Amino acid sequence: MLLLIYFELLKTFSKWRTYIGFITVSVVIPVVMYALYYEGGEFINAQTRSIQKEFFMVGNLFNGWVIAQLIMNSLWVHIPFLITLVAGDQLAGEAASGTLRLSLIRPISRSKFLFAKYFTTLIYTALLVIVIALLSLGLGLYFFGSGDLIAFAENSITILHQDLLLNRFILAYALAILSMSVVASLAFLFSSFVENAIGPIIATMAVLVCLLVISNLPVDLFENYKPYLFTTYQNAWSLAFKDILDWNEISRAVTIMISYLVGFYSLTLIIFIKKDILT
Amino acid sequence: MSTETILRTINLNKRFKKRWAVKNLNFEVKRGDIFGFLGPNGAGKSTTIRMIFSLIKPTSGDIEIFGHSVRKNHSQALQKVAGIVENPDFYLNLTAYRNMQIAGGLTLGKIPSSKSIEHSLQIVGLADRSKDKVKIFSHGMKQRLGIAQALLCNPELIILDEPTNGLDPQGMKDIRELIIKLSKENGVTVILSSHLLHEVQQVATRMAIISHGEFRVQGLVKDLLSENKDIHVISVTPKIKAMKILKSSSLVNKVSLQKTEIEISTSHKNIPKLLTLLSENKCNVFSVYQKQTLEDYFLSVTSEEKVL
Ligand SMILES: Nc1ncnc2c1ncn2[C@@H]1O[C@H](COP(=O)(O)OP(=O)(O)OP(=O)(O)O)[C@@H](O)[C@H]1O
Ligand SMILES: [Mg+2]
Repeated sequence: MLLLIYFELLKTFSKWRTYIGFITVSVVIPVVMYALYYEGGEFINAQTRSIQKEFFMVGNLFNGWVIAQLIMNSLWVHIPFLITLVAGDQLAGEAASGTLRLSLIRPISRSKFLFAKYFTTLIYTALLVIVIALLSLGLGLYFFGSGDLIAFAENSITILHQDLLLNRFILAYALAILSMSVVASLAFLFSSFVENAIGPIIATMAVLVCLLVISNLPVDLFENYKPYLFTTYQNAWSLAFKDILDWNEISRAVTIMISYLVGFYSLTLIIFIKKDILT
Repeated sequence: MSTETILRTINLNKRFKKRWAVKNLNFEVKRGDIFGFLGPNGAGKSTTIRMIFSLIKPTSGDIEIFGHSVRKNHSQALQKVAGIVENPDFYLNLTAYRNMQIAGGLTLGKIPSSKSIEHSLQIVGLADRSKDKVKIFSHGMKQRLGIAQALLCNPELIILDEPTNGLDPQGMKDIRELIIKLSKENGVTVILSSHLLHEVQQVATRMAIISHGEFRVQGLVKDLLSENKDIHVISVTPKIKAMKILKSSSLVNKVSLQKTEIEISTSHKNIPKLLTLLSENKCNVFSVYQKQTLEDYFLSVTSEEKVL
């Protein structure tokens, strides 16, 4: 199995598209940092103006933690695009190029082959989130220093003491890896249907956009479904920045996301095992 | 030749939507065979080979390789099998060497030794290109790389689907010689699919012909050839005189004048007598050969109208 995963990593990282995600975040994050650095505290002042009147704040409010949270806040809708680019290509790309045939004439089980591909997709997803984490926290803390975090949760503002923050951020990124893995699994599933690499990408994005809209619409009609949509948990990472961690809510989000992960993968497995390789 | 059957198709069928690509196909390949698998374009050769490699599932029927059912246990059945199916496609961004590692690794469960990879590449003449990305390979080079992959891991059965497709004459000859060598020296059984009769005829020991997905004929190549061995082609001058002499001979059944040669129908053993007769009558014989009417035979068996 390790050998199969090694081969998949070789294939994945020999492709140019794999690096698009890494390049994008390595450009975007420093650019955002640079802009904020020049903008100075203006930005954070604007965000906190309403409460500045009521609270008297001390310390460095405009610090690396705040920046990392800001970046997460603006990127979580876009990272799925980058992940889909690779995840949607895993099976469809090989089908299109005819290499699926090359591998599957060998005496290996399709389920092992598929698992190696899936695992590689998850590794890529995790790596991308980790690179985002390292870049935003690393550069952020380096240029802006440390301090307490003003967390903008849904409709409240929480201030978290800086001693807590490392653990909270690790939790946040872990939740982000999980929710991005659900997107990756969906793209992976679509990737088993077709023989071209564009289809799964577009399909995943379409589904994602539709469900995100439903998840975020404050309409009663959808209220009953929302808890069961995986998109409702796309920003589960923000649960890590509540004043007091709500483990019930976190474990419910994790359970639902893992159910989707298992569900999407099982479906892919069923399809892939039966599939006629015609390319 | 051994009588051990190492591959057998059992009432093999494949339907794509409404079209039957393979219909009730039964044939056997014995150990040591160079088995020609012949049929015109669209006959169902590649479809059959895909089913052998479990790339596609038969609509009904099964294939047994070394006694293992492909449907029930393809990993076991394919353990000692390798080959190429249709176009040679590779991981283009990886080097030839890496592609070899992957192909061998999938069979062996571990990365094959660099010695064995280099040896296989050497055989197909790609040893000096092993560090190049396959992206820059020509079609013929990819075809060779496909064969190098098939040679890796010492398979006992090699299945080659139109391996000479896109090769230059030298490349075709190399592959023919390689197939014969593998069979003679390493005892490898080879299945060679082709739509070109003369290609198969030059190397195959046994063959099966299919068309429209249906089995037509199977047998030893020499038996199939000898079914039509009576036609001989003689190149001789002066032609008119030679025609008269041959026509008057009781040994010859039929004489016909072709553009540059004369075709006669006679048993092979009469040829020396006829040549003597011609030279006694001052005719100059330049060449005599037995016409390979298997080609015609092939065309006649494969072009039959489909009976519904
Ligand atoms: N994916 C598919 N969908 C529908 N029909 C198919 C498919 N693949 C093959 N066929 C049909 O099956 C039949 C056999 O095709 P196959 O590729 O096996 O022929 P072949 O003998 O390999 O021909 P060639 O010499 O051209 O390679 C053809 O009629 C073809 O149209
Ligand atoms: Mg074919």
